[in-house]
Amino acid sequence: MARYIFRRILQFIPVLIAISLFTFVLMQAIPGGPFDFAGDRSLPPTIVANLEAKYHLDWPMWKQYLSYMIGDDILGEEGGSRGVIRGDFGPSYHFRGQTVADIIKITLPVSAQLGFMSLLLAIIIGIPAGIIAALNQNSWIDYTTTFGAVMFVSIPNMVLAPILIWIFALILGWFPVAGWGAKPPYLLGFLPTALNKEFFSHAIMPVFALGTGSAAGIARLTRASLLQVIGEDYIRTARAKGLRERAVIVIHALKNSLIPVVTILGPAFAALLTGTFIVEQIFGINGMGKHFVTSVGNRDYQVITSVTLLYAVVLVIANLVVDITYAWLDPRIRYD
Amino acid sequence: MDNREVILDIQDLHARFHTQDGVVHAVNGITYQVHAGETLGIVGESGCGKSVSMLSVMDLLAKPPAEVQAEAILFKGEDLQHFSQAEMRKVRGSNMTMIFQDPMTSLNPVLTVGFQIKEPLKLHLGMSDEEATKRAAELLELVNIPEAENRLSDFPHQFSGGMRQRAMVAIALACNPTLLIADEPTTALDVTIQAQLVELVKGIQAKLGMALIWITHDLGVVAGLAERVIVMYAGFVVEDAQIDELYGNPLHPYTLALLKSLPRLDQRKEEALATIEGLPPSLLERPQSCPFEPRCEFAKPKCKESNPLLEAVGPDHKIACWVDIKTGELR
Repeated sequence: MARYIFRRILQFIPVLIAISLFTFVLMQAIPGGPFDFAGDRSLPPTIVANLEAKYHLDWPMWKQYLSYMIGDDILGEEGGSRGVIRGDFGPSYHFRGQTVADIIKITLPVSAQLGFMSLLLAIIIGIPAGIIAALNQNSWIDYTTTFGAVMFVSIPNMVLAPILIWIFALILGWFPVAGWGAKPPYLLGFLPTALNKEFFSHAIMPVFALGTGSAAGIARLTRASLLQVIGEDYIRTARAKGLRERAVIVIHALKNSLIPVVTILGPAFAALLTGTFIVEQIFGINGMGKHFVTSVGNRDYQVITSVTLLYAVVLVIANLVVDITYAWLDPRIRYD
Repeated sequence: MDNREVILDIQDLHARFHTQDGVVHAVNGITYQVHAGETLGIVGESGCGKSVSMLSVMDLLAKPPAEVQAEAILFKGEDLQHFSQAEMRKVRGSNMTMIFQDPMTSLNPVLTVGFQIKEPLKLHLGMSDEEATKRAAELLELVNIPEAENRLSDFPHQFSGGMRQRAMVAIALACNPTLLIADEPTTALDVTIQAQLVELVKGIQAKLGMALIWITHDLGVVAGLAERVIVMYAGFVVEDAQIDELYGNPLHPYTLALLKSLPRLDQRKEEALATIEGLPPSLLERPQSCPFEPRCEFAKPKCKESNPLLEAVGPDHKIACWVDIKTGELR
């Protein structure tokens, strides 16, 4: 198992290099540059040229990429970049005076809080809802749950979020319209220091907007999977042993039925990560997703590539965790 | 006559399934007894109701769609129909146990074999984990699995098909059952493994003395195993006789046709095997005539008019047929 994990981590390296290269090239291929505008005014060409020279945007693209990835000193060039491999993501072109690392340090915890709470909501609602629906198959409980699941799977979060704001913030006035209720410093770098009313009243709507789609998907899959498992021969064997129905379900059916559910948690996590772009934008949350979207408009190359890389790392790790959990749930799966 | 105590007495058992196409009459009023320590073979083709009748007795059919009715299902003198769910669970898996057709899917893939053998021991006998582990190892040894103690922590996929079926036997034997029902346990195994399993169960039965119901469509397996055989067709019992009597003196046309269709060692290679023309009747309608009449070589007009009931034609020999196949005339 340790060897398998080590090998998987080694496989991440080419994946991350490819992703960084693609992003880097694609961004530069878009017309326009980071210094086209200062506020509403366009800058004189000489100033643009000076700025581009300062940030080495006049270098050939391969050199810029290597400077970004491995650092200027290894390239044998003048310049301050120590490269991504040594944890230097470079400066932001748009927020001058801030490095990409500074921006990530402020915005990532917010996105992580939003993402994890949404994933938690998806699991806590999705799995029990699926189980309850399956155990009451073809009853009104089942129909209600399935109807709700189809509805929430079908409503995209960019529709759900404004509806939530309209009903719960504007009409009922229960929650604030926008914003996030936790500020730095964070516990361990990402946990909010106080889980108070301020935090939750801001969090409920965005977490709900982001998490219900995944919850609905998980509920549908759990229901289908558990129904399939209940029809298996080994469930009949368990009943033939004289076990109580509850023991049959809990001991013999649940673990088997969760195997496919775990496999979609990876993609579900990816959906939540990318979902934060929209939800953070709508709720005006100063998270990484919002920064990511605005940095594309600003042609803030370093931010775009770095955040993409960060998302990629989170995703490959999430998928690795899913694969390890999969092996733990299903003894027939062995990695070596 | 058999003087041993009757442990299972099924009287007029019906099982129906309510499906979208209509009501499927799977078992249409069967009656038979099983004595203590007896080995009863139930033979018949697929869909004749042999498995369903046993699943009805064990109360393992999902209701709905299934519906089970009987005058009585007496197990050791008590009618199982009047048992509560909890009382039924106490019988199931301890006194009356069952092994199933497909060993590849009958064990839970995510639980160890040891855990699955220990389950009934803890549930019915109240054993501690330690006692149960010890007993589970003994059981695996009893079913001839080498290094039994070490294999308890194995998962089913680490066992071969034959070993899995033996593990199923171990689970079924865990609480020293009075009656073991084997539902086509050898069908999914290859021939040499089949023979091993039959020998194993025979040996264990001789040692522990439980009654055994062996459901199969393999007349060869039954011949070497059973004391008495019941032949089923379209949800009816058509013949019930001691093994020697059934093979030596079959009196129902269906049994005769089945025996004729068996390959024989003294048969010439070029000779084709005898077949039974036609298909079993649809179970969607309860037949008013004899269900075998359309395929029967002895059919008489009377067979179309009414369905014969099972009746004794000799000591320990019952058939459901209007015709005496020796003379070809109505009895």
